[in-house]
Amino acid sequence: MQDLLYFIQQLINGLTIGSTYALIAIGYTMVYGIIGMINFAHGEIYMIGAYTALIAITGLAALGIAWLPLILIVALVCAMIVSSSMGWAVERVAYRPVRGKHRLIPLISAIGMSIFLQNYVHLAQGSRNIGFPALIEGGFRFGAEDSFQTSITYMQITIFATTLVCMTILSLFISRSRIGRACRAVSQDLGMANLLGIDTNRIISATFVIGAALAAVAGLLLGMYYGSIDPLFGFIAGLKAFTAAVLGGIGSIPGAMLGGLILGVAESMTSGYLSGEYKDVVSFGLLILILLFKPTGLLGKPEVEKI
Amino acid sequence: MRTPVKKLVSAVATSIAVMGAGQVAADIKIGIAGPMTGPVAQYGDMQFSGARMAIEQINANGGVMGEKLVGVEQDDVCDPKQAVTVANNMVNEGVRFVVGHLCSSSTQPASDIYEDEGILMVTPASTSPDITERGYELVFRTIGLDSMQGPVAANYLISQKPERVAVIHDKQQYGEGIATAVRDTLKEGGVEVAMFEGITAGAKDFSSLVTKLRQADVDYVYYGGYHPELGLILRQARQADLDATFMGPEGVGNKDINTIAGDAAEGLLVTLPPSFDEKDENQELVQAFEEKGEDPSGPFVLTSYTAVQLIADGIEAAESTDPFDVAEALRAGTFQTPIGTVEYDSKGDMESFEFVVYEWHSDGSKTPVN
Repeated sequence: MQDLLYFIQQLINGLTIGSTYALIAIGYTMVYGIIGMINFAHGEIYMIGAYTALIAITGLAALGIAWLPLILIVALVCAMIVSSSMGWAVERVAYRPVRGKHRLIPLISAIGMSIFLQNYVHLAQGSRNIGFPALIEGGFRFGAEDSFQTSITYMQITIFATTLVCMTILSLFISRSRIGRACRAVSQDLGMANLLGIDTNRIISATFVIGAALAAVAGLLLGMYYGSIDPLFGFIAGLKAFTAAVLGGIGSIPGAMLGGLILGVAESMTSGYLSGEYKDVVSFGLLILILLFKPTGLLGKPEVEKI
Repeated sequence: MRTPVKKLVSAVATSIAVMGAGQVAADIKIGIAGPMTGPVAQYGDMQFSGARMAIEQINANGGVMGEKLVGVEQDDVCDPKQAVTVANNMVNEGVRFVVGHLCSSSTQPASDIYEDEGILMVTPASTSPDITERGYELVFRTIGLDSMQGPVAANYLISQKPERVAVIHDKQQYGEGIATAVRDTLKEGGVEVAMFEGITAGAKDFSSLVTKLRQADVDYVYYGGYHPELGLILRQARQADLDATFMGPEGVGNKDINTIAGDAAEGLLVTLPPSFDEKDENQELVQAFEEKGEDPSGPFVLTSYTAVQLIADGIEAAESTDPFDVAEALRAGTFQTPIGTVEYDSKGDMESFEFVVYEWHSDGSKTPVN
């Protein structure tokens, strides 16, 4: 019974972290699906989302506003707006001018953008870890009083629920809306979509904006969950999310969700049953295995090499 | 110290000294290498503030052998790779004396370069024993060793008669080194070490680790590493209702841990060098810091001040600016410094250095235990 509760606890930990990986992975996968490039600056967009949310929360606190739902909504909206404009601007400045050139050029441009944004935040916000207030506290616990109890915090529930809602909205948007249909068309054949009168530049911008908005959601959630942010924390999260995207099949939205969850659970099980030291070994080991045996990922469809 | 008359007198003294030595003298460059940016920049602030103050005061009192000290400051971000670049820059700048580095993992590779290039290094903060284990002639420190600090922590834990203790570290030279020392002393003392495990520095998610600690049902958790990770562990442990007391080395004893951990930092145990700023004989110096609006209470402020002072004293004792002569003078002499009487053994370690167990509070203050 103890062991089962322990297992469930690690599963909850893994699913929580995995669902935020999934939120960030969407940004990688959508951009790849449409223009076949990897947006390495995406992790930084996520980091900027977290900083914006923190600034908004601090600002509201300074104004004396203490009603939690309002704080969360304002922080979320601010983070989404700033990150989305950032995502849009990055595409406009760093990727559009080099689109269609040799495939390495956008990649290098993306890495440059990532370094620029990191250092920009270093300068603007300082390089120290900044504490992020825990706005949602408390939780449920299961199991006998005097032995190991499985706990699930309200924060973890918030993370699951938000991820679920975001993913549902995104899936509906992609499958039902006009822009969503255009997105699918562009991802199938950019040139043809262009000929048929779709404003492909607008669609590409839209994917950057959507990906960035979801990353901002993840930024706010993870900031609150972990409790501190620093200018470098987007990098490793971006790397993990990228792994998740490749694991699930880059270009596929359900793949990103699945990849994120698998990666999160794999990490927490490694920490829980082996040792925290091997956490990253396992996640990147998984990436190598997938690339070796199923390069298209779990849910990816084989297609012509684009990158 | 800062009255206008004294200032004038010292300015005149300095200018006379400079004029006197004018023809022969170039200034003596003192390299100061530590993290100005990055996750542990707080400790760098302490180091730079202490070293700058020492340079300022020594120059105000006429410099060293009639020559002025000039600080050459470089940022190593507490990154071993950057530390090597910084060390090479110091060589290019013609620096012959360095105060630094701060993180043991930076000090180690940088000291290889300094030793090869004939540069004397005094680290005010690196506690890893390995640094002075290599028979280097030009490596000194103004701080104790993990092999002294670890047992202090472990003996305190043993005295609390815990049932089970977990020892966690960040896999870096400093953290793992001290965690190993703690684990070994605990085992010798008959305490069960239920867990000995590394985490990744820079990681944010410790939920799995905290779950594991809860499962292991430990009374105490010792963490070898720096405050950004421990702050998060404390906070996530509090959220998961882990009922254990945490303890860490001087690398976690920093007010920034409070901004990360909040209330969860209350009751954290920390081994630190004794509060040199509370000693009577240092009050004049403490006031000088306060007049500049700086805080001398950080663990590395006065050790850095002392590092500069020792270099100056060593140069005067040796009557030479050759680092090898200075090293010899430092080994031979006994020096009165703000951190007490300093005597060096043949390796460049201080003959004695005390560590004290403090209890940390959620407002960033600390009180000595026992």
